[in-house]
Amino acid sequence: MKIVLERFAHNALALLAVTTILFFMFRLMPGTPLAAFINENLNADQQQAMLEQFGLDKPMWMQYFIYLGNLLSGEMGLSFFQRRPVTTILFEVLPNSIVLTLTSLIIAYIFGVLAGAWLAWRRGTWIERVAVPAVLATRAAPEFWIGMVLLALLSFNAGWFPSGGASSPGLAYANNWQRMLSLDYLHHLALPVITLALYLQGLPLLLMRSNMLEVMHEEFVTMARMKGLSEWRIVIGHAARNALLPVVTAFALGVGLSMGGNVVIETVFSWPGIGRLLVQAVSVHDYPLAQGAFLMIALVLALMNFVADLLYMALDPRVSHGRRA
Amino acid sequence: MILEVDGLQIHYHTAGGTVRAVDGASFAIPEGRIVGLVGESGCGKTTAVRAIMGVLAENGRRAGGRVTFKGKPIDEATTKPLLWRDIAYVPQSAMSSLDPVYTVGTQIVEVLTKRGRHGRAAARARAAELFDLVGLSESRLGDYPHQFSGGMRQRAAIAMALALEPSLLLADEPVTALDVIVQRQILDTLRALQQRLKLSMVLVTHDISVVAYLCDEVVVMYAGQVIESGPVREVLGRPRHPYTMGLRNAFPDLMSDALELVPIAGSPPDLGDPPPGCRFTPRCPFALASCSTQAAAIGSRQDRAHVSACLRDGEADHLRTSALDPVTWQRSSAYATS
Amino acid sequence: MVDAPETSVVVPPRRGRGQSILPVLRRMAAMPLKDPFAFMGLLIYAQFVAVALFADQLAPVDPLEILFTQAGKVAANVAPGAEFPLGTTNLGRDIYAQLVHGTRSALAVGLSAAIIVATVGTVVGLVAGYFGGTIDAVLMRIADMALSLPFLPFVIVLTGFLGASTSNIVLAVTLLLWPNSARVIRSQVLSLRERAYIEAARVTGASHRRILFVHIAPNILPLSFVYAAIAIGWAIITEASVNFLGFGDPTSVSWGMMLQDAFTSQALSRGQYAWFVPPGICIILVVVAGFFISRGYEEVFMPRLRGR
Repeated sequence: MKIVLERFAHNALALLAVTTILFFMFRLMPGTPLAAFINENLNADQQQAMLEQFGLDKPMWMQYFIYLGNLLSGEMGLSFFQRRPVTTILFEVLPNSIVLTLTSLIIAYIFGVLAGAWLAWRRGTWIERVAVPAVLATRAAPEFWIGMVLLALLSFNAGWFPSGGASSPGLAYANNWQRMLSLDYLHHLALPVITLALYLQGLPLLLMRSNMLEVMHEEFVTMARMKGLSEWRIVIGHAARNALLPVVTAFALGVGLSMGGNVVIETVFSWPGIGRLLVQAVSVHDYPLAQGAFLMIALVLALMNFVADLLYMALDPRVSHGRRA
Repeated sequence: MILEVDGLQIHYHTAGGTVRAVDGASFAIPEGRIVGLVGESGCGKTTAVRAIMGVLAENGRRAGGRVTFKGKPIDEATTKPLLWRDIAYVPQSAMSSLDPVYTVGTQIVEVLTKRGRHGRAAARARAAELFDLVGLSESRLGDYPHQFSGGMRQRAAIAMALALEPSLLLADEPVTALDVIVQRQILDTLRALQQRLKLSMVLVTHDISVVAYLCDEVVVMYAGQVIESGPVREVLGRPRHPYTMGLRNAFPDLMSDALELVPIAGSPPDLGDPPPGCRFTPRCPFALASCSTQAAAIGSRQDRAHVSACLRDGEADHLRTSALDPVTWQRSSAYATS
Repeated sequence: MVDAPETSVVVPPRRGRGQSILPVLRRMAAMPLKDPFAFMGLLIYAQFVAVALFADQLAPVDPLEILFTQAGKVAANVAPGAEFPLGTTNLGRDIYAQLVHGTRSALAVGLSAAIIVATVGTVVGLVAGYFGGTIDAVLMRIADMALSLPFLPFVIVLTGFLGASTSNIVLAVTLLLWPNSARVIRSQVLSLRERAYIEAARVTGASHRRILFVHIAPNILPLSFVYAAIAIGWAIITEASVNFLGFGDPTSVSWGMMLQDAFTSQALSRGQYAWFVPPGICIILVVVAGFFISRGYEEVFMPRLRGR
């Protein structure tokens, strides 16, 4: 229990550090210190509201604490160009990013784990010699480039998939769930997911393979052989079960990392997610929106780091069950 | 004899050539006895025992010899049905031999249900029985390996080995990793179990005092070969091979007064390129010129219970007296003049 | 984030007096000879370096110059052929020339990032691991903070607001990449520190500097190279990503800019594969070469008896 609290505190502090860095970074941007939250795009009332909300006439250190307080209550200011609360905008696009990330990761990890275990099985054969460099090549390619190639081949050329966006124009749905489960949405989701999954599978594959190779040499695997257990039971029940531990942790971490990395994928496919929002906000210098998007991504990262810690603690009996002697 | 090993050869293929880890080892295990298999690290004792179980490293293979269990020859292919049901293994380090992510109970039940004919419930009952047999509380069945202390873990490993009521137990340095007091307890447990269950046991160890304490017979290995074997009292009390004579000097005996520790100078030969003749020659204070070219065959057990592979076997009594003097061992390893 | 598991430790030097840098350097130089993949990686690097150095000879055309046909029209979207090996962009620029000249910026970004990341990571790892205490705690907290920043978003924000020069990109990348190498090097130093020969050196009065540089650093050197090689790849991909997103300098020539150009001018729908496929291939080659080399050095550092 103590460890759980410790990891929570650790990740929370990391998040706090990020927030602080962000606070100062945006204050030091070109323009007046007010420029972080006020822009001539906003009308006079909105500007006044922001001034009060964030205490922009007060000394810097006070602003910092007001800022933190606002964040905790979900107040991130108004987007300069959309003139709407940042928080609202963020939560509109968040589901799209989550769907993209989770779907891609799940596919990538299922494939990676199976393929990695299989490759470990095929140790020393030519398949392994060819496959490992090939997988490394998928990790070496920029995600967006894979996206571009697939887009050209499968969308523009073959016409199998739409070329961007999350929905075809003119369609309306009763609510968000219906929209996301609709065939049209899934059709649009397909290519980004394929691209991302292709890029992401390298890590679980190589990790699983290397873990399996290590575990297969462990004494308890030899013991299982000496007991005469079936090969299946040894490889899956004992070896894979042990090899899987770090992969599960990696999955959790992957969710956090992916949210940030999806920036480019979302741009290539015009996928309306947080990443694309960030890029757009930065290019037009919509500071509040940029801050908000960045913080949201950082929040997911910190959260998933914490989840990864929890998973590791829960799945490894050596950590979850203490010594009893 | 429940197990007979005849001229066993185990070779490992490495980048640096072929290592002949076991090169013509012969020994026999009488039914219902505890036989110690003793020798220094690298002499091939663990390799031999693992080969009997049919588990060798990827680059190892049996290059010759015969292993017979209850009269029938066995090899890697034919061993499978016997594994755990007739021949079981007690590892040196239970910590690394038990899967860390499953409870010990689960692992025992696994072998009972998958290799035995037990149903789940019967298996659990039997597991409790086994724990009781080795002196562990039934409540510990739900614990993970890392939650046991070293000694208790070894007991658990022994319990697991006995699960399917094997007739032969191969124990590979089962107490080496434990402290002396716990060692004695485990050895006592092993003896009690052996008597109660009428087991045959092979106890692999490099510690002569363990052999002296527990075993009925002993087989001494050196550099991949068996160089002496026979009843414990005979071999340790009246050794016939110079190596055994030297070993005896190198180990303190818990039960008698402290002896002066006299190590045998030098080290075993490189098994990638073993020398012709007797392999102990360079370290032997009694070596003759002919020892380096001609190895003595270990006598047949048909004739005598206590046999040794030494050209000077006839002079054994005389050599033994000389071996008791530490000065003998401090002489350089030239050919003996005695 | 819970610390990554420790890799196994290097065998201590055979000579009791600690080890000079020479044997380590020799092993590192000999590494490619034993590892065919690392050798291939080095070959690839060598090729790219050569291309970068002789870019002007290989592609005498100005990559940004708008070219015209005989008839006086802009030579836009010309298919690959004898005159333009990879064709031209929609603005009439020679793609092949861009690819060749783009090598320079790629290598510049990659190498500068690698050098800085390796240096900072190694120094921080050495200092934190060796001296421990407050210095260690402070440095590791800073490392944690750097690691909790989302990578690409941070680079985007930094370049988006400060301007997208190469040095800003390198700055952003190195700010976020050094912790990984620092942490691993630190953990190695921690275990090395307890080794007998270090104790011996301390007892015989060797100064901290001497112990650090003569005894510990040589053992760490292969690790630095591992992370340097990885950093090259990351830096190039990041630079390409940032350029692709439109935060790059439009007057610069780089593979990332080529991809951005191709994307925004609808090269995908026109099926102009010769425009956007080659830059990606080049990136893959350089990054994979980095992977192979880093794996080679990992083997020097931690020889795995069973092979990879």
